[in-house]
Parts: sequence; C-alpha cells; structure tokens
Amino acid sequence: MADMVTLTIDGRRVTANAGTTILEAARDANIDIPNLCSNEELHPYGSCRLCMVEITHKKRQRLVVSCIHEVAEGLEVKTATERVLNVRRLVMHLLLSRNSTHPRLREIAAGLGIEKSMFPVDYKGCILCGQCVRVCREVVGVSAIGFKSRGDTRAVATPFDEPPGDCIACGSCHYVCPVGVIPMEEKDGVRRIWKTDFPMAKCSVCGKYFAPVKQLEYFRKIANLPENHFDTCVDCRSTKK
Amino acid sequence: MESLNVYASRLVTKREHFAPGHRACQGCAEALAVRLVAKALGQNVVVASATGCMEIISTPFPFTNWRVPWIHVAFENAAAVATGAEGAYRALVRKGALPEKGTVFLGMGGDGGTSDIGLQALSGAFERGHRFIYVCYDNEAYMNTGVQRSSGTPFGASTTTSPAGKLKAGQVTWKKNMPEIAAAHGIPYVATACSSYPFDLMKKVEKAAKAGGPAYIHILSVCPTGWGLPSEKAIWIGRLAVETGVFPLYEVEQGRYRITVDVPAQRPVGDYLKPQGRFRHLTPEIVEQIQTRVTAEWEKLRAKTAL
Repeated sequence: MADMVTLTIDGRRVTANAGTTILEAARDANIDIPNLCSNEELHPYGSCRLCMVEITHKKRQRLVVSCIHEVAEGLEVKTATERVLNVRRLVMHLLLSRNSTHPRLREIAAGLGIEKSMFPVDYKGCILCGQCVRVCREVVGVSAIGFKSRGDTRAVATPFDEPPGDCIACGSCHYVCPVGVIPMEEKDGVRRIWKTDFPMAKCSVCGKYFAPVKQLEYFRKIANLPENHFDTCVDCRSTKK
Repeated sequence: MESLNVYASRLVTKREHFAPGHRACQGCAEALAVRLVAKALGQNVVVASATGCMEIISTPFPFTNWRVPWIHVAFENAAAVATGAEGAYRALVRKGALPEKGTVFLGMGGDGGTSDIGLQALSGAFERGHRFIYVCYDNEAYMNTGVQRSSGTPFGASTTTSPAGKLKAGQVTWKKNMPEIAAAHGIPYVATACSSYPFDLMKKVEKAAKAGGPAYIHILSVCPTGWGLPSEKAIWIGRLAVETGVFPLYEVEQGRYRITVDVPAQRPVGDYLKPQGRFRHLTPEIVEQIQTRVTAEWEKLRAKTAL
C-alpha cells in the first residue's frame, strides 16, 4: 500500500493515497467537482480550469486546479466557496462563448446559474481541453494531431491542415471528445475522420467491414503479429475455431 | 461505435463499484453486465436487488461485492423498494434535510424477478413515474435455483421444468416481450442491451440515468451453465444472439424506436441455437418455426423504427 494522507474536503475528513490529485480524492469521497479535461488514463493537464478549488495549507489560502494539485497531509479543501464559484462562472462564460449549445456544458453552466455567456458568442465548438491530442500521443502513440497557433486562433488540427499522415483512423479522439466536435462517419467501407477517407478492412468470412486498414497495419507492427492475423473480424475468428 | 473497441476500452474508467472476487460461475455474462452497469452509474447510486443469482453470488455472509449502498429485497418488490428509497430521498431533499446530489436509484432483478414475480411492483413503479432505473438481467430461466423455466425462457429451450422428451420439445411458449411491456407504460426510456456489446450497454445506462423518469433496460445475460455452453463462449453467443436477430438491440426514447446495433445481413438462427445444449434436441422443423417467428418479430421492430 502506498502512503496514506488525510485531508479535509468541504469539512469532511478524507483519506487518500499520497500522490493522487485533489480531484481524485474528492471523486472517491463522492464530492462533485465539475471538470471537462481530466481523464484518468491521461496525465493531468489542467486546461479547462473548471475544477478550481480553494485550499488552506499552513494558514495560506489560495486557488488551485484540483486535477493537478496533489493531496497533502492536513490540507483543507473547499470546493464551493464564493471565490471558487466566481472563477468557475468566469470560466464557464468563456467556454460558452466558444460552444454555447452542447448539453454537457449547458448542464454544468445551469448548475452555476448561468443561462448564456456574457461574452460575444463566436461558435468554435472545440473547447481546447486537449484530450484528443493527449489520447493520440499517450494512449494510441501516433501523435497524428496537435495544437496550432496561439491565443484566440488556437485550434486542434492535423499537420499543415492536410490529410494526417500518421493517423490510423482508430477514432479515439472522436470517442474521448467531451463536446463531440470531432466528426467520424462510416459508409460503404470507408471511414471519414479529419476530412480524410480511410478504407476499412473486410472480413474474409462474413464480408463485414470491421476496422480501418491502417489501424490493423499499426497493430500488426507494434504487436509483431503474422500477416494474416486480421483477415477475419473478431466474431468470425472465434467461429472458425 | 462497435469498431472503436480497441482504444475506447482503454479509456473507460477503471473504477469498479462491483468488486472482483464474487462467486458467479466461470464465464457468467450476467456478472459482467452488473459490473458494466455499476461502472456506468458510478458511485452516487443506491441499488435494490431482487433475490436471484446476482444476490447470492455477490453477498454471501459476511462478504459483499458492492462498493455502493445495496439493499437485498424479496423477489417481488425490487422496483417497489427502489422507488421507496427514491421517494424518501426526494422528500428529505424537499425538506432541506439532504442536499440534492443527483443520486441515481437502481432496481435490478433477473428475468424471473422482473417478468414473472416482480411485474406488478415494476408496473406500479413505472406508472407512478419515479425517477429510477430498473435493469433486468435476463438469463432466460431461474438459473439460481437450478434452471427452471420462466416466462423469459425462449421457445424450444429445455429446462428442468420444461424438459425435452418424446412428447414435447422443451419450452412450449414464446418468450415474454418484456421491453415492449415496459415501453407500453409510456416511460421516457426503454432499451435492450447485451454484455457482449459493452459500450452500447454503458451508453444506454448513462442515458437511462438522465432520462428524468422511469427507465427500463433489458440485458440479455448469457448463462453458460444453464444454456449448456462452454464458459469461454459466453460473449460469442451473446453476439450471435444479436447477429441472428433473436435479441435485437434497440432503444425507445420518448416513444421513438431506434435500432442501436444494426445487423444488415442476419445470420440464420441455427447458428445461435446449435452451439447451446438447451436447444440440442431441436428438429429442423422447429428451428424453421423459430426462424419464422424471429423474422416476423424483426420486421415488426423495423416497422416501429420507421414511424
């Protein structure tokens, strides 16, 4: 067992493993802190700033991002002080000015008592949480997409806005996007993602299209599998045996 | 959704609320379904479980697998207890004794506890419009007590109380269409799911939690012991049930039908029946009869989705 530390969250004594973040400790204690960019499979990133909390440590009070800040012995955390809520409301106004329609954002906004953004709405969809970029790098391991530009023109894109050369069309970015703005379509044996068409492999037994050809090639390469390993889909592979 | 499986499965949360180390048989797809439902609902949930496999395997005294509040109740009143807990919670919130934390209330039972014994309490709960989810883990017989037939047992299946012999070829009645009964109550959300399609299942549970009224999910849970299957074939047979059209995966949202896992080219039902011991005695004529019924049911469902 790892070392345990005891901290206080909203007046409740909580025990957590040393090295975990405040957000994780709160989640274990069933205390809700809104967040959009954290994913336990990815390294903490702290881009959405919604999970802001106020901590008192050795008589010093300050605001920290709970998805990055680690727990410490005797730490006192408050998740809903007026100071915290002010920051969250400002963040939410800013997020809503980029994406004013997504139900998940609207739900969190409603919880903070926000109807619509106080800033002019310039619909971009993406809230720049970076989960897609991080998944592509950390989980899939291909880094086919990344951030481009700075400031208000910052966006997730493929290199030079051209068809992504390294993309294996696995769809992880589409799956992980909290606001669902990465479109992926499948039709007639072609998967379309990042404005590029990827051909799908066809099962040699049932004739179903089951995965993108590039994804299977990538799996064969990293797992050192024989050439014919992905001739059949998962269902037919077990039927044949 | 289906072809996302490889990386998507790594991105699903690793927090388990139905702990490992339970006493289900090898290859139990019902325990898997419970685990996926618990995972999708997270920590903020209260569970009322009817008697059945899932009760005896998860809570042999003095142990428990549940990391969330869990109540065991009698066969007939899982829905009544879940809605009672829900009513009490809402009353306390209304009086300011508890903060509103969006707690989810879940009733669960097997096919016997749902479509035979618990139907009356369940129907009442739907009618009263409680904000709760009821999940039926359908393994198509009373498996807990040793494979006795229930109204969820499909036509032709041999069980200990509908044995196949010289006079009868197993179960003589067709499976009760429980999702349709639930949908007929006009509740906001009804869905069928199968633990062989985990992402589809978890998505439906998440939707049900947000339905804002009673929600019903019917999960086909393969039982290798009762169905006469090798334990490693449980997931495979669940997929076959969907691909042959025996158990179509669909959802009914505010009365609108939608097929969630479409099967453009259905396999013959023989592919699904043949590997199972409980259908071993079926003659080609009976298989043909089942095929006709499955095709007709599928056409009916198709017609409803077109509305």
